[in-house]
This record gives sequence, structure tokens and C-alpha cells, in this order.
Amino acid sequence: MTVLTIRDALNSALHSLMAADDKIIVLGEDIRGGSGIKDGQELGGVFGVTRGLAAKFDARVIDTPISETAFLGMATGAAMTGLRPVVEVMFCDFLGVCMDQLMNQAAKARFLSNGRVPLPLTIRTTMGAGDGSGAMHSQAIYGMLATIPGLTVAAPSTPADAAGLLKSAILGDGPTVLMEHKGLYGLEGEVTDGLPPVPFGKGRVAREGKDVTIVALSSMVHKATEAAELLARDGIEAEVIDPRTVKPIDSEMILASLAKTGRLLVVAEDTAFAGFADAVISVVARGGFDRLKAAPRKLTPPDTPVPYGRKAEAAWLPGADDIAAAVRSLAGS
Amino acid sequence: MLTEGMTSLVEKGHFIRAFEGALARAFDAGEVPGLVHLSNGAEIFELAVMNTLRPPKDQVTGSHRSHGIALALGVDPFAMACEILGREDGLSEGLGGTQHLIAPDSGLLGSNGIVGGQVPLAAGAALSAKVQGTGGIGVTFFGDGAMNQGAVLETINLAVALKLPMLFVCENNGLGQSTAASYAGGGASIVGRARAAGIAAAHVDGGDLDESLAVASKLGGWVRETGSPAFIEASVPRLAGHYHGDAEVYRGEKKKVVDPLDRAGDLLLDRGVPEATLREIKTRVAEQAEEIVERAKAQPDVSDRALSRWTEGGAA
Repeated sequence: MTVLTIRDALNSALHSLMAADDKIIVLGEDIRGGSGIKDGQELGGVFGVTRGLAAKFDARVIDTPISETAFLGMATGAAMTGLRPVVEVMFCDFLGVCMDQLMNQAAKARFLSNGRVPLPLTIRTTMGAGDGSGAMHSQAIYGMLATIPGLTVAAPSTPADAAGLLKSAILGDGPTVLMEHKGLYGLEGEVTDGLPPVPFGKGRVAREGKDVTIVALSSMVHKATEAAELLARDGIEAEVIDPRTVKPIDSEMILASLAKTGRLLVVAEDTAFAGFADAVISVVARGGFDRLKAAPRKLTPPDTPVPYGRKAEAAWLPGADDIAAAVRSLAGS
Repeated sequence: MLTEGMTSLVEKGHFIRAFEGALARAFDAGEVPGLVHLSNGAEIFELAVMNTLRPPKDQVTGSHRSHGIALALGVDPFAMACEILGREDGLSEGLGGTQHLIAPDSGLLGSNGIVGGQVPLAAGAALSAKVQGTGGIGVTFFGDGAMNQGAVLETINLAVALKLPMLFVCENNGLGQSTAASYAGGGASIVGRARAAGIAAAHVDGGDLDESLAVASKLGGWVRETGSPAFIEASVPRLAGHYHGDAEVYRGEKKKVVDPLDRAGDLLLDRGVPEATLREIKTRVAEQAEEIVERAKAQPDVSDRALSRWTEGGAA
């Protein structure tokens, strides 16, 4: 066991996989960084996740012009022709720029070839509000991405899961979007030596409890766990489920928890309408209706873009107190 | 090019025309699920470009109008016909269809339903060839309409910036569906816009077989030798509608265009190939094409079975 930050766990996973397979390339904006600087002094991505790769793997670490459409499409074509590209899209908001290449090209190629063409493409991107980045550098669009047939979407909350899901994405044969929360890069956690892959579609019980099930992803897992500790003082034991993958979703784990608690709260940082929370509630309404003791609840940001001012942004994001309040009203119903 | 090779190329051109004619008749008979976009007029130019390629080391992407490109690359016409008709033994068992033909074994990385969407994908093939040192190149065909898409303009710049072995081929038929290229595109010329991005570029009359062979060989060879991208703009006539069945009321008075297939035939006659040989070629390939499309029509539609392999388990 070692303690690593999410940033270092991702970086370490990239180093070990790239050393083992020269078909793996990484590309994106500023992922080498620097204008001619070498020998490990490169920027290594604006969040430092690709730091040190250029010095070791030189030609397989490629800075691109600010052309998301062109470089995401290039990575898709490279994945169709023998490479295993890992693309960094600096902020998931920028996926709006290259939506055709994501939705029509990368996501559909395997289906349109009837499985003849593998598409081992990993798209690493960042998300998350809370740092004053405003409306176009702060979204969390995982629910929206998961509606696209052909895409696997994952959103880790711990260093072990971040490295493990990244490995599954790179070693897999389909396109995966890995959503990394900007606010979690420095989060430390224990990781198993060798950073084993984490399978898609398998959730994790972040905290056990018997009274209420909270389903949350990414940074919301930590807020939900914080809320659960507050609730425990009042004798309410909340179970926190981290599905880790948005699609495929671990319905089994969610329904099993619900069988125990009968009460569901979903906390999400993505859209208020037709987002991750609505998808989970749909799973539960269809597969676990008889287990529900109360109407499921969700806590999401309001249906507006991410605001900029500190007070507005704090009000916009679901917090531990909001979660605790929602659970209290649910537990009492 | 030797007369024998040129005769074979012209034969392929007639086969493509006949194949698409048979498809158009199948469409009229209600046998085709979607609309078909015919390559009529571009066959000779496309064959001239393929003449310089080495598939499958080289990988090609094309637009919605890619039947000719696929056949010119040597994709199995029966598997193609079955795919376009949505039948068993189609390239993708009917899941893709006419606008999404995929046959990488023959060098066709894919045709595409999004105008310009195929262009970045060919940059990926070029990057793969470069990183893996295969000596292959990425090639992309697109129309004048796509020259106004960000995907195309961005990829031209990307190919220059990353020094990718990639050949851009813009087939300018003067019309983006119904809208004139002269109306939709800024700048003096397409080739001029390409040059402004710092890419080696040339214009060619795509109806002139000799010139097309020379330009394709020169720029294709340059990409292969230098590892840098190049750009060809070819003027080709669109002899049919945007899609088969298009009434083309927008076209007004049609200008008289000489069919590039006839121009190529004249080149052969000049070289002493007997007219009877040309006639025999046309008859033979027409029969071949008809037979292939008829056989495809007799195939069952199993696309639902193909789909079910993708839906097992279902979404959450």
C-alpha cells in the first residue's frame, strides 16, 4: 500500500502502461507543454497529469494545436488503425467544440463496422465547479455523455479508482471518457501496488449504512460521506454508493443497497434535467419499486450554467449540509 | 501509364458507373433503405488517385459520396452492394449502409455521413503510420462543401503542424448539395485557401486522366517521401443529382459537360485501342455490375439479427 494523490496515481498509471506498450500515445493541448523546453521541465498538462511522459516517451507524447475537433478525430482514426491513444481534452466543456467527432465518429465506429474495427480510445477530461472558473470551464456533463450509445463514461472519486479506471480504459477496446474532477487532483488515498485496473460497471460501497442509500459520483462521494458522518451523530446511518462508472451503471449494487435501506437520494453535479440522478432514479423505479419506502430524491445543481461569484457558486453546488438535510427529510418520510 | 494499365483503369471507371447505375435501379425498385449519392463524373479522378496508393498500408476516408472511392480501392463490390442494400454478407451486415462503408482491409477506413467528419480520421491513420513507421499515408476525400467545415480547415493546419503523412483530396464539383461552391466559399480559390495554411497544394482538372495521374503521383509521392501533407483540388463534374432521384430544380440551365469517362475513352482511342474493345468493356462491366447487384438483391435482410448482437443486455 502506498499513498498517492489522484494526479500522481493517474500519472503513474500512464507511465507504467506506456512503458509496457508502445502503441499507447498521449496527445492533447499542452500535455507536453513548453516551447522547446526538454528533459522533464515540460508543463505536462495544465493539471500536471502527463508530467514527465515527454522525457521518457518523446514522440508518443504529442502537443496539439487548439483544435479539439481535429485532434479528437485524429485520435479516433489512430485508434482505428492500431494505436491506443489517450487524449486529454482540457475541460469537458470543450467537448462541445468537438461533439461531432465524439458523438458521430468515435462513439459509432465500432457499431458501424459491426465490430470489425476496435476503438481503443481513452478521452481524459476534467470537470467540476468550485474554483471560480465560471460557466465554460466548470461543467460536469457525465450524464449527457452517457446518453451517447457506444461510449463508456467513468468518474472516479479516489486515487485507486482513477488509476484503475484509466487502465481499464486504455487496455479496453472501446471509447471511454474518463471524467477527472479538478477539485480532486490533490486528494490523497491509499492505492494497491501496481495500481490494478478497476472494471467498468462495478461500483464501490464508500460507506456502509442501513437507513438511507446515497448514490454519488466523483467529488459528490466525498460530500456525501461528510454528510453521512454528520447524520451519524443523529443516529442516521447512510450508505454511500459510488458507482464509479456512469455507463455501464452498477444497477445491482444500487438495488442491493436499496433492499437494505428502502430510501434513495442521488447526488450529482451534472444536469438537473435528464442527468445522472434521473437515470439512477429510473433504474430504481423500474427495478426496485417494491423496495422503496419513500419517493426517491435527488440533489443536483439548479438548471442554470455554473455561476462565477463565490457566493453564487457555493449556492449552486450541492454541499454536505444540503445532502444531510435531504437525507433527514427522506429518513423521516 | 502504359496503355494496358490505362485500359484497365478505364474499365474500372465504367464498372463503377455501371455498378452505381444498377444501384440506382435497385433504389427505384424500392430495394435500398436509404438515399444513394452517386459518384458519376468523379470515377476517373478517383481511380487516378488510387493508382498512387498502397492499401491497406495507406488508409482512406471519404464522404457520403464514396461508392466510387471504395470500388477504386478494390473493396469487394458484392459485400458493398449487400451493405448498401442492407443485406446479409454486407460489409457490416447492413448496420452501416451507403454512407458508412468500412473496409480497412482494402484501405477504406470509412465513408462518412457528416460533411468533413471523415477528414480528422484520416489524420489519425497518418499519425498511426508515422508512429509505427509503416511507410503508409492517410488519405481523405471530401467535397467543396466540406472546405467550409472547421473539421477540414483545422485538420489541414494540424497536419502541417504535426508534419503528418497525409494527402487531402478536395473534389470540387461546384455544388454543396444545391448551394453553389462559388457562393459558399470565401477566398479566391480552394487551392489558394489550402496554400495559405502552408501545405503543398495543386489544382487539377479531374476529368483529365493523364493530368490526374501525374498530379496524384507527384503529390502522393511527395507525402510518402517527405512525410509532410499535401493537398489536391480536383475539378470534377457532378453528372447526377446530390442523391439519386434529386430533381435538381436548383440547377437551372445545365451546362454541357463532357463525361470524364468519355474523355478517358478518347485517350485510349488516341493510343490505338480499337473502339470495339471499348464497347466490349462497357458491355462486359455492365453485365458484371448487374449480376452483382441482382445477387445482392436476392440476399436476405438480416440486419435485425446483426443489431441484436449489440443490444444483448440492453442499456441500464
